[in-house]
Amino acid sequence: MRKTLALALAALLLVSAGGRALAATDLLETGSTLLYPLMNLWVAAYQQAHNDVQITTQGTGSGTGISQAISGVAQIGASDAYMADMQMKNTPMLNIPLAISAQQVNYNVQGLNAVHLNLSGPVLAAIYSGEIQYWDDSKIKALNGKYASKLPHQQIVPIHRADGSGDTFIFTQYLTKSTPSWASGPGYGTTISWPSVGTAVGATGNPGMVQTCQNTPGSIAYVGVSFLNQTNKAGLGYAALQNQAGKFVLPTNETVAAAAHALDAKTPADERISLIFAPGDNSYPIINYEYAIVNPKQPDAGKAAELKKFLGWALETSGGQQPRFLDAVHFLPLPESIAARSKAQVAKIQ
Amino acid sequence: MEFAVGDAVRAASPATLQRTGSQAVLRVLTGLAALASFMIIFLMLFFLVAYAYPAIRFNGLSFFISPIWNIGNQYGSGTVTRAGFTGEAGAAFGALVFIFGSAITALLTMFVAVPLSLMVALSLVYRVPRAIRPLANALVELMAGVPSVVYGLWGMVVLVPWIGQALAPWVTTHLGFIPFLGGSAGSGNGLAASVFILSLMVIPIMVATTRDVILAQSNSLFEASMALGSTSWQAMTRAVLPSVRNGIIASVLLAFGRALGETMAVLMVCGAAINAFPQNVFSPVNTIAAVIVSQLESALTDSSGMAQRSLAELACILFIITLLVNIIARGIMRGADRRAGQGQSG
Repeated sequence: MRKTLALALAALLLVSAGGRALAATDLLETGSTLLYPLMNLWVAAYQQAHNDVQITTQGTGSGTGISQAISGVAQIGASDAYMADMQMKNTPMLNIPLAISAQQVNYNVQGLNAVHLNLSGPVLAAIYSGEIQYWDDSKIKALNGKYASKLPHQQIVPIHRADGSGDTFIFTQYLTKSTPSWASGPGYGTTISWPSVGTAVGATGNPGMVQTCQNTPGSIAYVGVSFLNQTNKAGLGYAALQNQAGKFVLPTNETVAAAAHALDAKTPADERISLIFAPGDNSYPIINYEYAIVNPKQPDAGKAAELKKFLGWALETSGGQQPRFLDAVHFLPLPESIAARSKAQVAKIQ
Repeated sequence: MEFAVGDAVRAASPATLQRTGSQAVLRVLTGLAALASFMIIFLMLFFLVAYAYPAIRFNGLSFFISPIWNIGNQYGSGTVTRAGFTGEAGAAFGALVFIFGSAITALLTMFVAVPLSLMVALSLVYRVPRAIRPLANALVELMAGVPSVVYGLWGMVVLVPWIGQALAPWVTTHLGFIPFLGGSAGSGNGLAASVFILSLMVIPIMVATTRDVILAQSNSLFEASMALGSTSWQAMTRAVLPSVRNGIIASVLLAFGRALGETMAVLMVCGAAINAFPQNVFSPVNTIAAVIVSQLESALTDSSGMAQRSLAELACILFIITLLVNIIARGIMRGADRRAGQGQSG
């Protein structure tokens, strides 16, 4: 009895020692739920070829991603939003774009979910401020000549994120850049002080947004493009949004790429830039870089080396930028010049 | 502990001195353990208040009277300084919406749950046939043991769509003339869903405690009342219930504390209202506990730290309210026990 126990113990020790030698390094990625599906595809593929590193992924929200990357709990903080100047002053971090994402504005209006209504920043701002309360409001009719007679006299339920969210960040940035009264009022951020609208509902996470919009006739919501498959399955409509040039465009690979292209040259070396409301006739107005927030000074040299290897792979056209990963979540690869800048940032990790 | 005492007594039974020695050690140890539970509560409150202190100064009285909650513009350039403490540009922390939301959801929950729980408890003691009583009791206890997030998930997937698509439209059109039942039917997320879910969660707790205080009362009161010719309804409401009044009040207060503190289940169905008060029973609402969770993530990225500290101030308020409710409930319960004890000995 005692002998078998000793044998079992020895075997256990051996196995754990062996396991430790095999998976020498643990990396933790946490943050944005929008980036989470892509991270899972990446990590599964990457680990097949690299069994000396163990990468754990968590979808916890961009705010958590940033704060845990700063505190050192996570090596990669995933975020839809770049860090603010004031945060950067306190704790300088690398903001490394990994891919390009977009956001659609969904609605649930009977009879109109199969078509694409035209909506503009000022009209959305008025809806979220409670100034436009019904779908047949003259301002909505004015944008939708073809469907004006079909717009019902139904109360609009604006849905926003209750939790801190990169989606709130880019949506409110669109309202801020397109509507002066929103810019001087609520402004933008991962959580904002929403105007007092009695019917407004807060929902948690992108899945919560989709579910609430689906369950609530007359509602409107903003949802990350990696959830486009779900919103289509839920039978929700999505809008053509008015861009800076005044044109109404749908989120497609072409319009998102056009918007990204319009701003590549302006992207600074630290890559913290808003891609919202880009110029150009064919530019979709709500797109963003998906960021990895990384501390440039890693306390553990082994982890730093593995981190650089993984992020380097994610930025390679033969690696993470392949369409087989990005198409599944409706993201676009980084333009070459931006990928080069991201690689330069990865090289700074020590 | 008990073993230690037993061993000591057996080993040293002739030497009384030794026995009193080990008893003294035991007394000190248990005393320390009892003190520790007080100290933990006290220290938690102390550190929470110390952490929230800058927010308490920054927000001042407007924390209690303003309905506008704004963690400030993280991406702006300016800051705002009040009472010597700095927050982000535009930061203003008024908790009135959440304080009101916590109070109204907990009170309405009591309004629904108290009568129901009393009826269920009385039925369990006097009406349910003896044969299925253990089963009924087990079901009630099972309900009390379900984790709150399970209630929340059920509320989100089943209850909220039903309220939003069936109950609320019907009530607002047919009963809309009654105050707070008319107006917008909303999405189903809101006050009604929160109260429904909270009731499901507190009813089992209240039923179990009320049933036990009724059972602790001897059956003679009910029988004597019946013998005097009262109906069983009169016997229950006029004789039994008044005799266990304190026990019931205590159990209501405990349930009230639970309703105030429940977080995840409420967050999942309340509609997370911000800057807006509910207009009817179907309007979105928000509670102190729910808003702490939902705002924490963005607050963590506030470089001035004032948003986190203001959430801590909210936590202080919740802590103090639930502590008071619990202390009052325990006090009443102890009083009830003592009287019951006297009744039995006399």
